Amino acid sequence: MSVELSSPDLKTDEMIINMGPQHPATHGVLRLILTLDGEICKHVEPVLGHLHRAQEWQGQNRTWFQYQALIDRVDYLSGMYTSWAMARAAEQIDGLVVPKRAEYLRVILSEMNRITSHLLWLGTYLIDLGAMFGFPFYPFREREKLFDLFEEVAGQRMMFNYIRIGGVLRNPPFGWFDKLKRFTDEFPDRIDEYEAIVTENPIFLKRTKGVGILKKETAMAYGVTGPCIRASGIPLDLRKTKPYSVYPELDFKVQTMDGDGDTWARYMCRIREMRESNEIIRQAIEKIPGGTTEELRKLLGTTGPEKDESKDLDPSFLLMAKKQNAGLRVKAGEGFAAVESPRGTIGCYVISNGSDKAYRFKWRNPSFCNLSVLPELLVGAPIADIMAIFGSIDVILPDVDR
Amino acid sequence: MTETPAPGNKPAEEPKELTAGPFGEFLREHGIASTRLPDSTGVETVLVEGKDLEAALKRLRNSQETELNYLVAVSGVEQADSFESVYHLWSYTNLKELVVKVRVAKSAVPEGKLPVVPSLANFWPAANWHERESYDLMGIRYSGHPYLRRILNPWDWEGHPLRRDYKQPVDSLNDKNPHSMR
Repeated sequence: MSVELSSPDLKTDEMIINMGPQHPATHGVLRLILTLDGEICKHVEPVLGHLHRAQEWQGQNRTWFQYQALIDRVDYLSGMYTSWAMARAAEQIDGLVVPKRAEYLRVILSEMNRITSHLLWLGTYLIDLGAMFGFPFYPFREREKLFDLFEEVAGQRMMFNYIRIGGVLRNPPFGWFDKLKRFTDEFPDRIDEYEAIVTENPIFLKRTKGVGILKKETAMAYGVTGPCIRASGIPLDLRKTKPYSVYPELDFKVQTMDGDGDTWARYMCRIREMRESNEIIRQAIEKIPGGTTEELRKLLGTTGPEKDESKDLDPSFLLMAKKQNAGLRVKAGEGFAAVESPRGTIGCYVISNGSDKAYRFKWRNPSFCNLSVLPELLVGAPIADIMAIFGSIDVILPDVDR
Repeated sequence: MTETPAPGNKPAEEPKELTAGPFGEFLREHGIASTRLPDSTGVETVLVEGKDLEAALKRLRNSQETELNYLVAVSGVEQADSFESVYHLWSYTNLKELVVKVRVAKSAVPEGKLPVVPSLANFWPAANWHERESYDLMGIRYSGHPYLRRILNPWDWEGHPLRRDYKQPVDSLNDKNPHSMR
């Protein structure tokens, strides 16, 4: 939305102000140098790098095995996806076929991760818009439940290190699938609750409808991905457009929005995606080879998950196609692999020379690419809309700066 | 112990000439020379000359036949004897993908200068930040870039951290001087 404030006898001067890096609404440490004409933004320059941790350098100077534990920190709200992108890149180079059960576990856990990531976005975005009345904590209620489930499987609540090159770390404990099923049963009602408060809320509509319009052409030129581009009407979702893992076996729709792709569309797209993810989890629980951990145990007639590697086992019940030890090596070659993270295409370009370290690591981060369109969106917007627009892109700064 | 392979992923002897793939053919039809490289895990990889880069990518992006309109990433790579700028091209509308590489031999880079590759940022905004990042970390100068400034490191940082010959400052957080006694 652009607002014209002008009068022939009003003498105006442009003002440069600095927003961030400690601004509470910049989700970490982003600095924006704003050139303002009164209330209106004339020019924006994002200054990045306050959280630069040299992730690519570390990838080249640590062994594959060590680096696996680090990459969850690239995008700390969706660690499953960073692990998955790197694992896929290495598997492609190595020619590994990941066992089916492991693929299903990857899908289940990463869709859970998508929900937690969108829930955090929902809560903090409402804070960005000024809704300080307690709503932001409702999404965290569901998020905590999922984190408890993550903890039971991976041992960690956010930095999972669960998806490894060649498979996943371990089977979920007894009773875990039942808990997850119960969660998926009640979660749609919870989303209805959020929607009852937010979707039709007149204040929310006023702040978001027609604000921060992202046109299709602009989005494509800037390489925007994820909910941002789907809200602009382009059905780019790697789970469908470049199917990987077991997604072709699951039935789900790509959520796109008609219309201009304003802030409200991006909000709605994420809400729908959460419902879709919930459905994917539900289907994946039904279809997972070997069933729940209890059923698998009964099927195998053994008593421990360690028995997974016994000879008479159906290969699709295995969890790992590659031995996980400190000397983990990947064949020489190069490859690019990407997965659909909650923010968009997260990809990893790896060049391996066959040793225990990668020769070159390059991350393609969705936040980095989505953020580059921000100056385009902010020019002409009043200063009060800056955070509404910035928040709606769902940028996570460690993912921008790595 | 197995011996550590030499740096770089290049095989010891150059493999025999590869025949051009569909994209290589497409480029040749439009008068752009390209060399096919070994596939990057099943994806066609072509090497083009720096001077042809802009024409080649404009063709690949705008032609109805290819529609490679999604620039996924621009990566700077340092090989044993050259610098590479690698472009991963996908399509928003079809399943095609292509990897384009531009190589600058280290012997062709004058002492104290950076290797130069033409910039795409003027007609493809997606390349803008990727090229700044590659300049910052790998030290490839993209000629014609509208605002080639460091993006992840501080603006006054010295050196390019992903270079093989990069020397870290002693205390990179507080002091940029490598001879500092702190």
